[in-house]
Amino acid sequence: MRSWIRSHRWESLLALILIATIVGNTIMAPVYLGVGNIVNLFWLSIEKIIVAVAMAFVIINGEIDLSVASVMGFSAAVLATLHENAVVPFGIAIIIALVVAALAGLIQGLAVTKLGIPSLVVTLAGLIGFRGAARVLLEDGSVGDFPEWFDRLGQRTLVGPLPFGLILFLVLLALGWFVLERTAFGRKVYVTGNNPAVAKYSGINVEWLKLRLLVMSAVVAGVAGILFAARLGSVRGSLAEFYELDIITMVLLGGVSIFGGSGSMLGVALAMFTVLNIRNGMGLANVDGIIQTGVVGTLLIGSALVPNVIQRFRVRFPTVGRYEPDAAEP
Amino acid sequence: MTSKRVWIKRLAFLSVVAMLVAACGGSDNDTTTTAAQDSPATTAATETTAATETTAATETTAATETTAATETTAAATGVVTISPAESIPTTFLPKCTNIPVFPQANDGAVEAAGELGSEEAAFVGPADCGDATGQIDFMANAVTQGVAAIMVSNNAGDELAPSAQAAADAGIPVVSWDSPIPSAEGESVFIAQVDFDETGTVMADMALEILGEDGGQFAVLSATPEAANQNAWIAAMEEVLAGPDYADLDLVDTVYGNDVAEDSLNQALALVDSYPDLELIMAPTTVGIVAAAQALTQEGLCDEVKVSGLGLPDEMREYTLSGCAPQFALWSFQDLGYLAYYVAYGLATGQIEAVEGQSFVAGRMGEYTIEADPTRDAGLRVLMGPFSVYDETNVGG
Repeated sequence: MRSWIRSHRWESLLALILIATIVGNTIMAPVYLGVGNIVNLFWLSIEKIIVAVAMAFVIINGEIDLSVASVMGFSAAVLATLHENAVVPFGIAIIIALVVAALAGLIQGLAVTKLGIPSLVVTLAGLIGFRGAARVLLEDGSVGDFPEWFDRLGQRTLVGPLPFGLILFLVLLALGWFVLERTAFGRKVYVTGNNPAVAKYSGINVEWLKLRLLVMSAVVAGVAGILFAARLGSVRGSLAEFYELDIITMVLLGGVSIFGGSGSMLGVALAMFTVLNIRNGMGLANVDGIIQTGVVGTLLIGSALVPNVIQRFRVRFPTVGRYEPDAAEP
Repeated sequence: MTSKRVWIKRLAFLSVVAMLVAACGGSDNDTTTTAAQDSPATTAATETTAATETTAATETTAATETTAATETTAAATGVVTISPAESIPTTFLPKCTNIPVFPQANDGAVEAAGELGSEEAAFVGPADCGDATGQIDFMANAVTQGVAAIMVSNNAGDELAPSAQAAADAGIPVVSWDSPIPSAEGESVFIAQVDFDETGTVMADMALEILGEDGGQFAVLSATPEAANQNAWIAAMEEVLAGPDYADLDLVDTVYGNDVAEDSLNQALALVDSYPDLELIMAPTTVGIVAAAQALTQEGLCDEVKVSGLGLPDEMREYTLSGCAPQFALWSFQDLGYLAYYVAYGLATGQIEAVEGQSFVAGRMGEYTIEADPTRDAGLRVLMGPFSVYDETNVGG
């Protein structure tokens, strides 16, 4: 246990914060622990946490995908446009929307791997471009009146108290953990993120790996976008706008290094749960939206700073266990 | 109320006494018994031949009671005065909390809660009006908390409908104010500030007044593209503009500042750049109108381009006096919040029902009637009104 904590300092800290949040919430709002609320807490942010699972892979691999929220909006817009014009049956429209999302990922992936443009730049262009495409498709209007089974999928429970989205998330999370931490593919993701040159010379097809991850990220974003459409019952060009910020910050809060090569699915999951529980607790305690954003923002800034500060501190003072506070800063 | 209960007890007691007397007296007065089957109290009064003074008094009271009861029944179909019952927890959910009109509306709700002896509604909402779907979380939380009613100014379109429906399914009345749920799904009733068609007329008339007889180009600077109220007003205005009197008014574009000051300012400047002949920016949002007036003032363009729309006198005063925004209109947001709270309270305590034709008295604002909403395909509304048009003569200074 102790050695686990030592090797998982960040996860342990997050677990502590999470437990404190749960205890605090329970005291502040008795309704918090109800099954309905716990499901709600996930369900209200389900699209973000689904995409965050894929994002963890991309960032650990040393890349970033800023376009996820725009791809969410784009795939939902494609679905809505196909539905509005009744071009194809709705089921086919969903498949087309997913293919379009995959193509979006493929274009970006090829730009990164074949043209050698940094993913930060490529996906920033994707963020603007795919959002623009979504807005062009839907203009300022909204498209709704989806088939009832589709709305039901997004708005009602499927198994017991669990809606479809939550089940999908749990499956993805488990799958993500397994692939990342228990398979050769996962090892390659870490190794490449740590040092692409070393990865290349050890026989990893780095480009093929990155391409697959960026396509996967876009497909997951497409699924999340369609799910969001089902939850809202209608689609606008602005669907999921700015969600990339929340998604990326949750991954970073989970202890994934923005430089790639380190982080764990457990950390990401704990970070998601912590953020969602804090938000939910504040919501139930009628904390104003402005303060909610502020609190979560502070937490995220802290999460970005603390590991770096600790790192620097260690470098500066290698005998960290025995340092004297007075000597900490000159 | 207490005295009523006491009287009922006395009546019950007396009727028991009367029945005992009747039992003793035998069946020598059948007719009276039959005639007096309506209420035990009356039986008591009529049957007791040995009528004492007390019984006589009871008879009078019984009559009064009956009248009172009839009145109450009539009130269900007549006019209900919404009155203090119990203290109930409620949620007052604005589009966002950082625009002055929404705290003003909440002030009205607080005032109403005070009069009704109820606890203040929780005033919560998204930090930013640009966040069109942010209200869903607050709605879901309110349902989890088990509040007695939700009052909401919808910042999205029908995106809020599933959460409103969830609230309705949980037995929580959802009263929309300022901006309705277009499909009315899950919504009990909408408190409309003014008639949406009238808003169109008022805006078109202000445009005509400012642009003059010879007309000219103007553009609309709205809130979010999703905002149901603004969209309805703009649509209403476009309808009015189709009339012959407005033939020379040329609406060239509609842009969206998302009810964010900076976005609105940029959109206003972009309009001026894109349309060199533009003479007026019409902003049916209190954020947009100030931002537009500010932008034009900063750029020194107020002589060529004017601003009008819906604005708060406090925020618009300087621009109206400077001639940049010669005319604008608005209603009282405090009254709107006040009325919304009264209706929500009435619904939550069962004093009124969300049905067409239900009339009620809401405190200082007087009598209103719930009617079918003519501006939507479905849904009920209470129309508050009226509009105040402000210019340099009445804006204060």
